[in-house]
Amino acid sequence: MSGIEGNAGAARVDRDLAFEIEQFLYREARLLDAERYDEWLAMMAPDIHYWMPGIQARYRADRSDVLSRTRMAFFDDDLDYLTKRVDRAKQTTAWAEDPPTRHFHMVGNVEVEATALPNEWVVHSLVHNLRHRNETEEQTLTARRQDLVRRDGTGALKLARRLIRLQQTVLQAKNINTFL
Amino acid sequence: MTTPLGQGITPAELPRDRAPAPDSAPLDAATIRAMVDGEQGWIDRRIFWDPQVYALEMERIFARCWIFVAHDSQIPEVGDFVTTYVGEDAVIVARARDRRVHAFINSCSHRGNRVCFAEAGSARRFTCNFHGWSYALDGSLSGVTAEELYKDNPSFDRSKLGLHNARVESYGGMHFACFDPEAPSLADYLGDFRWYLDVLLDNDEGGIEFTDGNIKSRLKCNWKFPAENFVGDAYHATWTHSSALQALFGGAPTMKADRSFQVNANGHGWEFGLDFIGNAATLCEPEIVDYLRENEAKFAERLGKMRSRMVASLSSATVFPNLSFLAGHNTFRTWNPKGPSETELHTWVFLNRNAPDSLREKYRRGVMLTFSPAGIFEMDDGENFEHCTASNAGVVTRRRKLHTGLGLGSEVDHPELKGHVHRNQVNEANHRAFYQRWSDLMTAPRWSDVPAR
Repeated sequence: MSGIEGNAGAARVDRDLAFEIEQFLYREARLLDAERYDEWLAMMAPDIHYWMPGIQARYRADRSDVLSRTRMAFFDDDLDYLTKRVDRAKQTTAWAEDPPTRHFHMVGNVEVEATALPNEWVVHSLVHNLRHRNETEEQTLTARRQDLVRRDGTGALKLARRLIRLQQTVLQAKNINTFL
Repeated sequence: MTTPLGQGITPAELPRDRAPAPDSAPLDAATIRAMVDGEQGWIDRRIFWDPQVYALEMERIFARCWIFVAHDSQIPEVGDFVTTYVGEDAVIVARARDRRVHAFINSCSHRGNRVCFAEAGSARRFTCNFHGWSYALDGSLSGVTAEELYKDNPSFDRSKLGLHNARVESYGGMHFACFDPEAPSLADYLGDFRWYLDVLLDNDEGGIEFTDGNIKSRLKCNWKFPAENFVGDAYHATWTHSSALQALFGGAPTMKADRSFQVNANGHGWEFGLDFIGNAATLCEPEIVDYLRENEAKFAERLGKMRSRMVASLSSATVFPNLSFLAGHNTFRTWNPKGPSETELHTWVFLNRNAPDSLREKYRRGVMLTFSPAGIFEMDDGENFEHCTASNAGVVTRRRKLHTGLGLGSEVDHPELKGHVHRNQVNEANHRAFYQRWSDLMTAPRWSDVPAR
C-alpha cells in the first residue's frame, strides 16, 4: 500500500481532474446504492486491492502497526474475491437481501493528490453508509478511505487500491452486505 | 409450581403441547425445567427473551462455567495481554512473570473503574486512570498513589485488594477462565469432548496457533441462537447458505446420513461428516486442501482413521456455553452475551503451528471470505439469529414452544466414538443435549447438583 497514505506537499491537481475523480466516486456510490454490482466491478482495475482491516483499540505507546496486513480483516480482496461476493449477492436465495436492503452511501471530503505516475492519483475521502432493512433496522458505518485511482489505456478511470479505515473497533452490525 | 430449586419435575410428566408458563410465573426450578424438554425437544421461547432468565444465566452459567478467554499463542511473552469478557464481566488475560496465564476482573478495587482499555498489547502493569492504583500482571495490587495516606488504617490490606482472579486452566493451549471455586476441573468439565477437541488441537505434534487479531461484531440476537446453531445445526447449511454454495460451487454438498454423526458430552457438541475436507473446500484455497491431503496419513497416525476424517470435514461445534468452531475453516468464535437480545461475536483464525507459512494467509483470507461478518456464508446467519430473537417480543408468540425434535431415536452405540453418538449429522440431538445442560445448570443451586451428561 505504499503511497496510499498520501504525499505531504503533493502537487495539487487541476480543477477539471479533481472534478472528474469526484464524479467517479459519486457514480460508484450510486451504483452501490442501486446494487448495480456488475457495473461497480467494471470500475475496478484488474489488480484491485480492496482492503478493510479490522481495527483494534491499542494504547498509543503500543509499537505494533495500527494497520497490519497479517491481522484479520473484513475485506482483503482481489478482483476474484470481490466477484465471489457479488455472485452470492445476485443469487435469488440470498435471503438476507430479500426484501432488499435500502442502501445509502454518502461520499465527501474528497481530496486528490498527484503521484509520481502521470496516470495515478491518491484520493482521500470519507464515506457515510446507512443501511435500512425490513421494518426499523438501521445500521451506520463510517469510514476514511484512501484510494489509488488510475487512468487506464482506454482513458477510463479505474479504482486500483482502496484502504477503508472503519471507525468502529466492534462492528455495530450483524453483517456488511455492501461495499464501502 | 412450588417445587424447590434443584428438584424439578421430569420431562415425562409434561404434556408435550402444554403451554409455557406466563412471564409472570416465578422463576423456580420447576418453571425452568418445564422450559426445556431435552428428551422430546420442545423449547420455551421465553428463554430467548426474558430478562429474568438472562440474569440467571449470567449467574448460573457464565459465572460458573469454564469460559474460553485466550489461546496461548495470543500472549506468548511475559506482559502480553488481551481483554475480553466472561459473561458481561470484563476480564484481562495476561501472562505474568511466573510465565503462567492469569485472568482477572478488569475493574479497580477502589472505585471500580476499568484498569485496561486496550484490547490487546503488552504491559508491565495495569494502572487505573482514576487515582493511579496499579496492578501486577497476575492481578495483585502493586502500587497505590500516596500510600502513606493509608498508614495505620486497619481496613487497608494490600493483599485483599487485588483484582478478582479467575481460575485458569488450559487444554491444548486453549485457556479457559472460571469464577466458581466449586466447579469441576476443566478436564472434567470438557469430559469426553477432549477426545474430539484433539482432532483440531492435536492432529499435529506442534498443535495450533491463532493468527493475529480478531474481528468483533454485534448481533441483535440472544447468545443461545448462534451457540445452538454451531452445536448441531447441519440442517440449516444447505438452505440458509444456498446463495454462497450456489455462487462458489453451483450447488450444495451432500451430507451422507450413514457417514455422518452428532456427538455430545456435558452439553458440548460436534456435528460432522467423515468427508475429511468438506469445510476446508469452501475456503476456495487449493493449497489448503493440498496440505490436508498430503498430511492425511499423519493425522490418522495420531488420531486413528475415524477421527482423522473429521479434521476439516463438513461440520460445526460448540463447547458449552459459548465457544464455537468450524474444523476445516479453522475459525474459533465466542458468543458474548450483552443482554437478552444482543450478542458480541469474536472471531479468530487458527492453523497448525507446523503448517507452511504460506497457509497462514490462505486461512486468514478464506475465513474472511466465508465466516466473518462480511463473509458470504455468515452474512445470512445473523439475519436468522436476529429475527428468531425479535419475534419473541410477542406475548402470544411466546405461548407456542419451538420444535427441536429432529432425529429423535437416532442414538447409537458406537464402538469407537465417545460420548452420546447419534447417526446422521442432520439432526437436533445436540440441540437437545445443549438445552438439557442449560436446564441442569439453571436449576442447580451448586455444581454438585449438576449431573454428568
